[in-house]
Amino acid sequence: MTSTSVVRLVMSREIRQRLRSKAFAVSTAVLSIGVLGAGVLTRVLSDDGSPTKYQVAVVGELPDGFADAVAQTAKALDIEVRLQPAVQRQVADRRVRDDAVDAAIDVGAADLVSRNDPADELAAVIDNAWRVTQSRQAAADAGLDDSQIDEILSPSPLGSSVLEADNERDDGVGNLVGTTAAILLFIAINAFGGLVLTGVVEEKSSGVVEVLLAHVRAHQLLAGKVFGIGVIAMAQMSATIAAGLISLRISGRSIPLDVWIGLPTTVFWFLLGFVLYSTLFALAGSFVSRQEDAQSASAPISMVFTIGYLAVFALGTNPTSTVTRIVSVLPPFAPLLMPLRMSVGAASIIEIVVAAIGLIAATFGMLRLAGSVYGRTLLHRGSRLRWKQALRMRS
Amino acid sequence: MLQVTEISKSFGDLRALDAISLSVGRGQIVGFLGPNGAGKSTTMRAIMGLIATDGGSMTWDGAPISSATRRRFGYMPAERGMYPKMTVRDEVVYFARLAGMQKRAAQAAAATWMERLGIDGRADDEVQALSSGNQQRVQLAIALVHDPELLILDEPFSGLDPLAVENMKVVLSEQLADGTSVLFSSHQLDLVADVSRDVIIIEAGRVVLQGDVSDIRQRAASRHVIVGFDAECDWQPAAPGVEVVDRHARRIHLRVPRSMDPASLLSSAGAAGHVVEFSFAPPDLSEVFLESIAGQNLHHSVLDRARAVR
Repeated sequence: MTSTSVVRLVMSREIRQRLRSKAFAVSTAVLSIGVLGAGVLTRVLSDDGSPTKYQVAVVGELPDGFADAVAQTAKALDIEVRLQPAVQRQVADRRVRDDAVDAAIDVGAADLVSRNDPADELAAVIDNAWRVTQSRQAAADAGLDDSQIDEILSPSPLGSSVLEADNERDDGVGNLVGTTAAILLFIAINAFGGLVLTGVVEEKSSGVVEVLLAHVRAHQLLAGKVFGIGVIAMAQMSATIAAGLISLRISGRSIPLDVWIGLPTTVFWFLLGFVLYSTLFALAGSFVSRQEDAQSASAPISMVFTIGYLAVFALGTNPTSTVTRIVSVLPPFAPLLMPLRMSVGAASIIEIVVAAIGLIAATFGMLRLAGSVYGRTLLHRGSRLRWKQALRMRS
Repeated sequence: MLQVTEISKSFGDLRALDAISLSVGRGQIVGFLGPNGAGKSTTMRAIMGLIATDGGSMTWDGAPISSATRRRFGYMPAERGMYPKMTVRDEVVYFARLAGMQKRAAQAAAATWMERLGIDGRADDEVQALSSGNQQRVQLAIALVHDPELLILDEPFSGLDPLAVENMKVVLSEQLADGTSVLFSSHQLDLVADVSRDVIIIEAGRVVLQGDVSDIRQRAASRHVIVGFDAECDWQPAAPGVEVVDRHARRIHLRVPRSMDPASLLSSAGAAGHVVEFSFAPPDLSEVFLESIAGQNLHHSVLDRARAVR
């Protein structure tokens, strides 16, 4: 029997065993329904996407050009402002108090009336229109003609040229996609790395390794377990991502291009990160004979992984700093940080390549190292092994 | 044929195996005996490649044992080794497939063995739901399912009720008839006498006795003599080297040198009273074993006390 067919047998047992388990079905359902639900909720809570409308009562006669200026600025801010003529100040005040209008302008008193503070965008629109019309009036009073006034009020705009192009797209979507990817990776690697850990301890504590290793080699067992649970993890991730995409559609948003670009690279980082961490978890599991000791054996790995996760938030806001650059190419952190840096466009090609090669090398190195000690540590009986002891068991 | 030649293994300062040699021929069953901690499991685990030996060699049919060879062996560890949450059927099929069987053949063989071992009614139950006796049967099915050439069974009889022991013996004898070789261990030295004629007895990592059970017993220096009278009798056997082990009103138990002539003993007893029972037999395996290791006197007294209690 070839090594691959042994690994495939071990894999299929792992997959079948997980598919049979209720925990997997429940967690997949909860994740998918949760993500779908978020989409539905967004749809229900959000408006229909048309611009926000404001009603403004007007006391007195507006200066010439005011309505035009309001309409122009409002359009730029993607809002709609309707001006309602109202004869009396008291009437206007009452409407403001009753929330029948969002604000009122008393032209004579040069006053913008609102119940609480007016919305920033509304205040800006009105204020701007006021200044423009006042300036125009003042200029006309000073004896300037229309063309001169236009010249004063519409100066030629200041151009801009960039010496060092920054390809960072601070558009929010990239950041969201990258952060979401990191969160998903963190959840998935924790959950499924945990399955690898407890799976190995179960094999050891039930004594089944004795029979297994009489038939198959330790590294085949290790590979089958990590890859088998990896397939399960990918299945759940795919279900969640699919639910996420559907959820975006339900919420009425188009799926940004960044998501489509980010997906395959995220899968790449996830797969390698999963194999790296799961192999470590499997190794830690092979050090102990009881489930109670599993957590303490894997604590150093969880700690490194959690540091990487926290770095996503600590360094993610500053994706081009030197510290971020260095940390994000280190193999234990690259799977969490690179998707974020790539999705905001902050990672250079060289950094991506270095991080990818480093991670691939680290993963292979880890698989080889684990393969060389796993058989010994798995059959070790008695007290919990330390990492140092285990490494000395290399064959 | 399995040939193990002078394998040794140390764990730190402890010399667990000290140049152990043994062989099991095709279709032969060999009992591997010794007290707890003698090195039986360690030897078996070494044969199954579960620990690396410090020296010595192991061959099957003349070729060094590789992992491919071991796939043709069946192994039952002393402690149970199964996935607790798999069903009995899945478990047996899985190990058959790991041993290299195709899916169909594995399923068929699993069905056959579950039936032969009387666990077919529990095929779709999880292993952890079974009684320990039934789990032991599943373990045996796993060892047998791929029709191995050599069976390595570590304490297969421990924890079994008498009926299950008989069932196990029947299964083993059928395997032997098919040409399978069997090496099984037990710390109950006398229990295995009717299972196998060939035994290897180890103590503290060394082989102390090996060969045919009756030969080993015959070679022992002493014989046990039991004489029963029809009435109370105070016969005093007067011969050099005779030891009274136990005495009742109408029954006396002696230990005598192997060289003593039973006929002269019987006539001496016959002169003292009417003899209704007379036996002259070599000691059983456990006593031979105790005799053969150091500190004989101490062990005799232990043994005699044990007999007196019986």
